[in-house]
Amino acid sequence: MGFMQKVFRRSPWLYRINAGSCNGCDVELATTACIPRYDVERLGCQYCGSPKHADIVLITGPLTARVKDKVLRLWEEIPDPKVTVAVGICPISGGVFRDGLPIEGPLDRWLPIDVNVQGCPPRPQAIIEGIAKAIEVWSDRQ
Amino acid sequence: MPDNILTLLFAVLVFPGGLFALAFGLILRGLDRRAVARMQRRVGPPLIQPFIDILKLMGKRTMVPEGSNTFVFLWAPVVAVAAMAVAAAMIPIAGFYRPSADLGDMLVLLYLVTVPAVVLMLAGSASGSPFGAIGFSREMAIMLAYEGPLLLAVVAVAMVAGHHLGQPIALSLADIVAVQRQQGAFILDPMLWPALLAYLSFIPANLGFSPFDIPEAESEVLEGPLLEYSGPALGLLKLASALKSVVVIGLGIALFCPIGPSGGAGLLVWALQCAVVTVCGVSLAKAALGRMRIDQAVLFYLKWPELLGIAGLVLAVANL
Amino acid sequence: MSFLKVLVKNIVAGPSTVAYPFGEPETPAAYRGRVAFDAGACTGCRMCEYVCPAGAIRFDERDDGLHFAVWHNSCANCGHCAHYCPTKAIRLTNDWHMAHLQSEKYALADHAVVPRARCTRCGADIGYGTDAIVRHAYRGVARQTEHLARLCPDCRRAASIKGASL
Repeated sequence: MGFMQKVFRRSPWLYRINAGSCNGCDVELATTACIPRYDVERLGCQYCGSPKHADIVLITGPLTARVKDKVLRLWEEIPDPKVTVAVGICPISGGVFRDGLPIEGPLDRWLPIDVNVQGCPPRPQAIIEGIAKAIEVWSDRQ
Repeated sequence: MPDNILTLLFAVLVFPGGLFALAFGLILRGLDRRAVARMQRRVGPPLIQPFIDILKLMGKRTMVPEGSNTFVFLWAPVVAVAAMAVAAAMIPIAGFYRPSADLGDMLVLLYLVTVPAVVLMLAGSASGSPFGAIGFSREMAIMLAYEGPLLLAVVAVAMVAGHHLGQPIALSLADIVAVQRQQGAFILDPMLWPALLAYLSFIPANLGFSPFDIPEAESEVLEGPLLEYSGPALGLLKLASALKSVVVIGLGIALFCPIGPSGGAGLLVWALQCAVVTVCGVSLAKAALGRMRIDQAVLFYLKWPELLGIAGLVLAVANL
Repeated sequence: MSFLKVLVKNIVAGPSTVAYPFGEPETPAAYRGRVAFDAGACTGCRMCEYVCPAGAIRFDERDDGLHFAVWHNSCANCGHCAHYCPTKAIRLTNDWHMAHLQSEKYALADHAVVPRARCTRCGADIGYGTDAIVRHAYRGVARQTEHLARLCPDCRRAASIKGASL
């Protein structure tokens, strides 16, 4: 592993996209970041406000028709190489909203997903597990 | 006088500006993040996390948004880093480093301290993003609010120091430090405590830390002026802000409490002082307070620090 | 200034962060995680398929038996299936290690076959999971009539009449 690869592994910045989620997964993401019990900052992660700073993007929600174009545009704004993580069963398969009228998902019809985190919502440890997997994928891409 | 130029270049590029200030500023930033994490019962990132972040940003590519002014967009961060490197070279370290008078006096320093804020404004408006424009206007408003207390505090100290030197006002930081090392630190003089408080309250706003991180609020305006930056350009802006924390905190120590012994121990004491100010002045507020609204912040600065600054100036002048 | 007291207390108390991912995570025993299915206990009533809000459970009737499939990537871990299962053949374990790479997306499923039960006398098809039904439904049956439970209706009629004539 090269020096830069080691550096990249220890500083993955996270960005969240809500693709029509019920906010359950978003709450768990906030929990993962903010409460002392599950501290993602010790992995070097940092939630950033701008998609241009992001390395790993976490997408929640089943991709509703209204947000589809916005989500795709936002995703395009994130510089390569990026790793896309689908958090919760909605972006993975549609979950309980599958085959619903306003649902354009699952997400991998439109975007290349790298890591899936199962759960409805996933518990914070599962999200951390997913982020750890995403970091592996990300360092392989450098 | 090529010798002098070489010394100046060394001061600006290596010590205490440039490389040293960069490394020290990043360590202070890491210390701050770790202190905040501990105050919130988290483990927090390693101390060298800011170094890792900067290295990573340097390894990514910079994207220039469509409709932006490319020249300003890309050169503004460089200007900020350069200004801060020069400013860091002008900060005396008691007993260890005395800045050369050729670099300029305190007025130049005060102008340089405002450069990163101006650069942020330029960057925000050059990026062509509406969030950048909002960040621009917020930065402008809060800058107008916090410059007052800074100037009042600095002038109060300069007048007291000037009185000891037999001048109307002492504009050289080296002289101010020399006076304090003879007469005792100004932090022990109750007449200057209002000025000290005004200066302390100026630090978080100038460094863009909570509760005054309004121009770069990530949840409201998506980091405002920084929104469109990525890769090395963003890294340079982060470097500039790390340098700025050394400059602003170092200036505060030079103004109020330059007590370090001579020699290498002086550098150590200075670093320790910087760390204490970072943890007590910046991290504490960051961990305890939420972000203010821009109108609240501006009103706050126009009320309390401004009053403190005026009181400090009046007390200092009346006591001469 | 009480917040200062809180902050100082926090520093003294030290971090309360759990060790995971660098150490072992703790999981409550009652945590609703990955669905586990026991084909031997299933009666083939298909109630779980009916109540599943996400449509994660699917049954498929084939010659060799009833094929059960659950796709965990569609499962909301709501626990309806376990709640409504009469024989507790389906239950939720506390396993939550289900973050996976995209290549494994469709592999995150469990399959099982509920075999068809045969009449112990004539070998006729008598549906699914008879043992499970016997254990569940005929709990207080006398020992003399217990052998009737695994017979097809015809054989059972014959056997009980024969038993009565004795």
